[in-house]
Amino acid sequence: MSTPGYAELVSASNFSFLRGASHPKTLVLTSLLLGQAGLGLADRNTVAGVVRAWSALKTLRQDGWSPPEKVREGGSPGECGWLADPLASEERIEQIKARAKDFRLLTGARLAFADGAPDIVAYPEDREGWGRLTRLLTLGNRRAKKGECHLGLADLLANPEGLLLIVMPDRRTEDLPSLLDRLNSARPGAVWLGAAMPRRGDDRRRLERLKMLAEAADTPLLATNDVLYHAASERDLQDVLTCIREGVSVDQAGRRLLANAERHLKAPDEMMRLFADAPEALAQTLDFLKRPIFDLADIRYQYPQEPIPPGRTPQGWLEHLVGERLPIRYPDGVPDKVQSLLAKEFAYIAERDLAPYFLTIHDLVRKAEDAGILCQGRGSAANSAVCYVLGITSVDPAHHELLFERFMSADRNEPPDIDVDFEHERREIIIQYIYERYGRDRAGIAATVIRYRPRSAIREVGKALGLTEDVTARLAASQWGSWGAEIPERDVLQAGFDPANPAIRRAVGMATRILGFPRHLSQHVGGFILTRGRLDELVPIGNAAMPDRTFIEWDKDDIDELGLMKVDVLALGMLTCIRKALDLMRAHEGVDHDLATVPAEQSDVYDMLCRGDSIGVFQVESRAQINMLPRLRPRQFYDLVIQVAIVRPGPIQGDMVHPYLRRRNGQEAVVWASPKPPYDRNELQKILERTLGVPLFQEQAMKVAMVAAEFTDREANGLRKAMGTFCGDGTLHTYEDRMVGRMIERGYDPVFAQRCFDQIKGFGSYGFPESHAASFGRLVYVSSFIKCRHPAAFAAALLNSQPMGFYAPAQIVRDAQEHGVEVRPIDVNHSHWDNTLEGPSHALALRLGLRQIDGFREDWADDLVLARTRPFDSIEGLMRRARLPVAAIRKLADADAFRSLGLDRREALWEARRLPDDDALPLFAAASARELGEEENADLPRMGLGEHVVADYQTTRLSLKAHPMAILRPVFDAEGLLTCAQVEARRSGSRVRTAGVVLVRQRPGNGRAIFITLEDETGITNLVLWVPVFEAHRRIVMSARLLGVEGVVEKSPEGVVHLMAQRLFDRSAELNGLSSDHEPVIELSGADEFAHPQHPRNLRILPGSRDFH
Amino acid sequence: MLPVDRLASVRPDGPFALTDKTANALRLTTVDSEALGLGLAPGMTLADARAQVPHLEAWPHEAAGDAALLDRTLDAFGRFSPMAALDPPQGLVLDVTGCAHLFGGEAGLMKAAARLSERLGLQSRLALARTPQTARALARFGQGGIVSEGDDRTTARRLPVAALELASAETQALRRAGLKTLGDVDDRPRAALAARFGADISSRLDRVLGLEDARITPVRPPAPVMADRVLMEPLISTEPLEAVIADLLADTEKALETRRSGARGFRLTVFRVDGQSRRIGLGVARPTREAGNILRLFRERLAALSTPLDPGFGIDQLRMEALHLQRMDPVQTAIDEQDQRAEALDALIDRLTARLGPEAVTWVRPADSHLPEKASRRVCASRPEADDGVRWPDLDPDSPPLRPLHLFDPPQPVEVISPVPDGPPARFKWRRVTHHIALAEGPERIEGEWWRRDGGRVRDYYRVEDETGRRFWLFRAGHFGDEPAPRWYVHGLFA
Repeated sequence: MSTPGYAELVSASNFSFLRGASHPKTLVLTSLLLGQAGLGLADRNTVAGVVRAWSALKTLRQDGWSPPEKVREGGSPGECGWLADPLASEERIEQIKARAKDFRLLTGARLAFADGAPDIVAYPEDREGWGRLTRLLTLGNRRAKKGECHLGLADLLANPEGLLLIVMPDRRTEDLPSLLDRLNSARPGAVWLGAAMPRRGDDRRRLERLKMLAEAADTPLLATNDVLYHAASERDLQDVLTCIREGVSVDQAGRRLLANAERHLKAPDEMMRLFADAPEALAQTLDFLKRPIFDLADIRYQYPQEPIPPGRTPQGWLEHLVGERLPIRYPDGVPDKVQSLLAKEFAYIAERDLAPYFLTIHDLVRKAEDAGILCQGRGSAANSAVCYVLGITSVDPAHHELLFERFMSADRNEPPDIDVDFEHERREIIIQYIYERYGRDRAGIAATVIRYRPRSAIREVGKALGLTEDVTARLAASQWGSWGAEIPERDVLQAGFDPANPAIRRAVGMATRILGFPRHLSQHVGGFILTRGRLDELVPIGNAAMPDRTFIEWDKDDIDELGLMKVDVLALGMLTCIRKALDLMRAHEGVDHDLATVPAEQSDVYDMLCRGDSIGVFQVESRAQINMLPRLRPRQFYDLVIQVAIVRPGPIQGDMVHPYLRRRNGQEAVVWASPKPPYDRNELQKILERTLGVPLFQEQAMKVAMVAAEFTDREANGLRKAMGTFCGDGTLHTYEDRMVGRMIERGYDPVFAQRCFDQIKGFGSYGFPESHAASFGRLVYVSSFIKCRHPAAFAAALLNSQPMGFYAPAQIVRDAQEHGVEVRPIDVNHSHWDNTLEGPSHALALRLGLRQIDGFREDWADDLVLARTRPFDSIEGLMRRARLPVAAIRKLADADAFRSLGLDRREALWEARRLPDDDALPLFAAASARELGEEENADLPRMGLGEHVVADYQTTRLSLKAHPMAILRPVFDAEGLLTCAQVEARRSGSRVRTAGVVLVRQRPGNGRAIFITLEDETGITNLVLWVPVFEAHRRIVMSARLLGVEGVVEKSPEGVVHLMAQRLFDRSAELNGLSSDHEPVIELSGADEFAHPQHPRNLRILPGSRDFH
Repeated sequence: MLPVDRLASVRPDGPFALTDKTANALRLTTVDSEALGLGLAPGMTLADARAQVPHLEAWPHEAAGDAALLDRTLDAFGRFSPMAALDPPQGLVLDVTGCAHLFGGEAGLMKAAARLSERLGLQSRLALARTPQTARALARFGQGGIVSEGDDRTTARRLPVAALELASAETQALRRAGLKTLGDVDDRPRAALAARFGADISSRLDRVLGLEDARITPVRPPAPVMADRVLMEPLISTEPLEAVIADLLADTEKALETRRSGARGFRLTVFRVDGQSRRIGLGVARPTREAGNILRLFRERLAALSTPLDPGFGIDQLRMEALHLQRMDPVQTAIDEQDQRAEALDALIDRLTARLGPEAVTWVRPADSHLPEKASRRVCASRPEADDGVRWPDLDPDSPPLRPLHLFDPPQPVEVISPVPDGPPARFKWRRVTHHIALAEGPERIEGEWWRRDGGRVRDYYRVEDETGRRFWLFRAGHFGDEPAPRWYVHGLFA
């Protein structure tokens, strides 16, 4: 007798959020290996997981292989040992390939209704049916708040054409006959009644009843197992998910958990045994597969036509536009190199039919240009001559190597990728333009799948297992990096727990299993999908948390998989800053530049960067970058591209930084790692030439895998995906043996091979491709140019674009002063909302704006400036003329902004406190008379400098009057402590003592050293603490705001100075001495990686004034 | 520190803090002195604190426990004066006017209070001044102590402006103006202050400086009729108590007589040397004042206490209060006609409970578990519980019962012949009798509770009926082929 046939048609993956407990592709592989004829994947009110299942099957058909799943250890029943390594034998691969060829995957959704109707699983018959299903889900999504879907049975009945429906009855069956009647009359011949044998005791009785009901309703009975996970061993995981969903711990969950572990994929003969009373229900599953069923490959994506005028072909119009713009880019004639590049690119674009894509991007860029919004493209396709001519990028192909050539020669399946960055403050204008131009029914933002990461996994799993919040918080806090494929024991120990403790062990084990599970969908930062037809007939659209935002259910990978194209509309703070700086330069200095016309390759700009003078400059302003600049000594554009990419986890983890520097400085010969004969000795030369034989970029690492380890396109694709969504599919480790092993086999140095893979692992946590680095390099150069030549405009623009970048206003202002810019205080008679420039164009001074005052509002500032037709001469007069509320006046007084009225902070505050309430007495208001009578002198004590500085920091986070350390200097001088400048001047090896306020605390990468930046009135000192010193002074490091240090000066040959700390002292108490009752608030600019997840510039050394005791 | 003090006997050694979740983070609410010395302070997030002091022990803060402790403390301090009130946060205020002489003058009173708080295991700062506001300010913002007559203003002027307890913005504004002590504020023209900080500042200042007095509102208004005895020699046994109670009752009888009223209730408060106190109340159906009768009732009441009165290190004060004063006319009570069935049931439960004891009268409530033996629980019928939302399973109306009424605890092992792997039993032997099974249904599969150390094996339950029509509930623990081999049990009998 042949084996019985069976297809599981009702299964839920972990995209049925917090219900299903297996990845879609695991379900597909398991179903196939069990010998099922097909699988129906229907998640709860969503199709978010179907593409993954579909592409997994595609891979299995082609390769007979899918990256193996982690298999649970332990002897629970149903453990699938064969999942451990399906690669084990070639035979197996062939068997899987053969089975996969005939295996059917149905993609649909399980409709869970809000009106009490039983769930109905819906599979589309054809493309139209799919469109109806996605529209139905869109309807339900749009009605509900983010993450929910409100559907009623009537919504389905309104338009059920093209859908095959399986009713999943509830426990109670009284209403079933009428439901089946209604469905049958709406969709005759396309309704099934699902029956499961869940081992509830009365299974057979119930099956009999369903059989009768089905017969009565003339509806076929269909056997299913209503699957929630691929194997019985996943029951505990499913229980934990239930607990997370219900917000209870597992020992309180009771009957909210399922009674048994039966809802897994079962082999056909097992199903046969269960359904011995109803073999026809089993046969029905195969009949179901014979129906015409929609396949995701049936989707024919069509690109929108909007930007193309009638009568033009996309390709023709693109070439026309490029021709039109050529004279603008090259007024002195088009270089031959560019001409030939354009011809090559046009041919490629025509061949792959990419013209509409370029035209859409061009359309957005043109819109931005019209609105005066700076923008720049990046990505593989952006680095092209076409994009430069169209104004999408500003890297001139006449002078630079273009990456598009490499893109053209790469894998034909790789989708073109252009991200466009816009000014962060005005990106919304572009987004709204897209909605307007294409309509909300044709434009939508892609989803991002929010997955469990170590921190969130341990937190939620711990809670579900009944650990206290304190314990889970400690475990979570020990997870430094947020990505990782596992939770190492070391971290558990570090959190102060015994990894062998059963409760901890179980929590960590369970959390590890849940890593990478999707938690919910969120909107992508700016990836738009545009369609020619209705978007909601392609994919369901749901509400985002932001009002007026909607996003689709598929993420970047799904979109790539289906060949849809995405336009990334991103926000970049530096573009805002550059545009504001260019505006200021135009207004005050008469210089007119744009991104492309800023003079290239100016040596004074590079000189500045070589000094490590880069505060505020795009990308290269972090401490690590500043330290790298003098060592790398950039002298040309491509050096900046490398500079941007080199201080990243990839090159650092791959230990590529030092080899590169040595080769660059001529200390080491430039050679290529080579394979043994008969392979080409120089096979890596083309890939690694421009980086001196050291792979630094993500593309290079990939290329090395393809050339040196002979990865196939498909393997490389898998590797790229694993890299991009490291934790997401958790398969990266499976490539390690293959890449390293094959490289060694081909004769490469094992150390080099391992380093290449380590680098790829590093890219997993933060990939940085060269195509992005090239576009970023341009912005590095432009911002350096502005900082170097126009420091006042640069500082003003930077301040006016906050929050952005790495540094707090205090450091930006100080840096401007060090570059010879006079900085003037906030004053009611001179300041605007923004920071402004004053004085002659050769000696511009920076006037601080009202925006620097914490809590001041822009409309107050506007009212103030409008009313300032003549200078204000009294607080009361100002208040009346500008109609400001008392709160605004108090903020101004607190910020010491009344000096031009002859009032210092204390006098102004005393005066402001006395102002009448906001509703002036009508009689006085009408008479516009002074309301306040003379009063007797309160004779307040004078406010000291220390007190002023403290108050400045409290209100504006910076002080122009003095650095707090300058006031304390006599104290430290008396103790013989050096200033930062003196430390800098000492010889290497000197033992010194110094002190400063703490700006930055960082513990990079491997955590072997802690870096702290101290600041005083003369400059900064960079401390390095080795871990033993840190542990001995842990409390001081974590809490001190003013730190005293004893240590040894260490100078690198490039002149980078570090102080190797040996002893630390908490001198924070001195800060209290600045003013008898306020502590000064000095803002941390540092990336405090220790306990603060917030952005460094938001940290304060001292709390806001409200917290003062 | 009160919340930390409360846990002194149970907490571990080393730096210790209590935490609560505010603004989406676990934050320290109270720290002990060791943690304070290490630079930790209330308001810090636990994560920050742990980053500095990794071995910090942190427990969740239970406000209710603190409130209860403060209440108990209030009772204990009630010995010094019946005019006692809570003074939040974590403070008490007592009006000791006319009380000090009982304790040897003000200094004696302070010493006694300090001793008492020490015995209670609480850290305290005491201040005694002419008005409660001055005393509060000195205790919270100053050094405490006794302010001698006429020195209130001078002493209070040295306090920081925070002692005005204004909103933090206002306090900040005063400091910004250079006014740092109450003296600085006191020296400025009141009109100028009022124009800037509202009229309120003036009266706050006056109150803290002792220029204006606001009386306290005691927590338990002293009973109109009350008698007190401070014992020079603490009683260490309960026998002599009766004499003291008789004395106190004689006093109250006299006082009630002059008021021509009787009391419906009496309350005896017993204060112990170690600061503990105990109140014993007594209700009577009709107003009375007759000392002899009441003493008899107290005697019975004391004898019937479930926790007998423990004199501990000695009882040093007793107080008798007469409550609910009324004229002595008896009052007819009405009987509610509604809900007679419930009342009848209540009455039955009361009577059964009175006769058999509370443990003997129980009923069955549903419990939230798949495991049959945990799916219901017995609760004392006489102690009503809040509804926990757990319901009996919802079954099809025409279904037979899936589970029997009678369960064996523990299940009884049986020998079974059954087809593999999970077919229903064919026959089984129980108590030496072999039952041949005619009808069977199942299995109902219930997995063990994996999250427990001994979660148990998977069970397959079968409803079976033997040839004589008797119905059993059998289960097999473990799957066929498992190691150790599965075992069969009879878990229940169907009626």
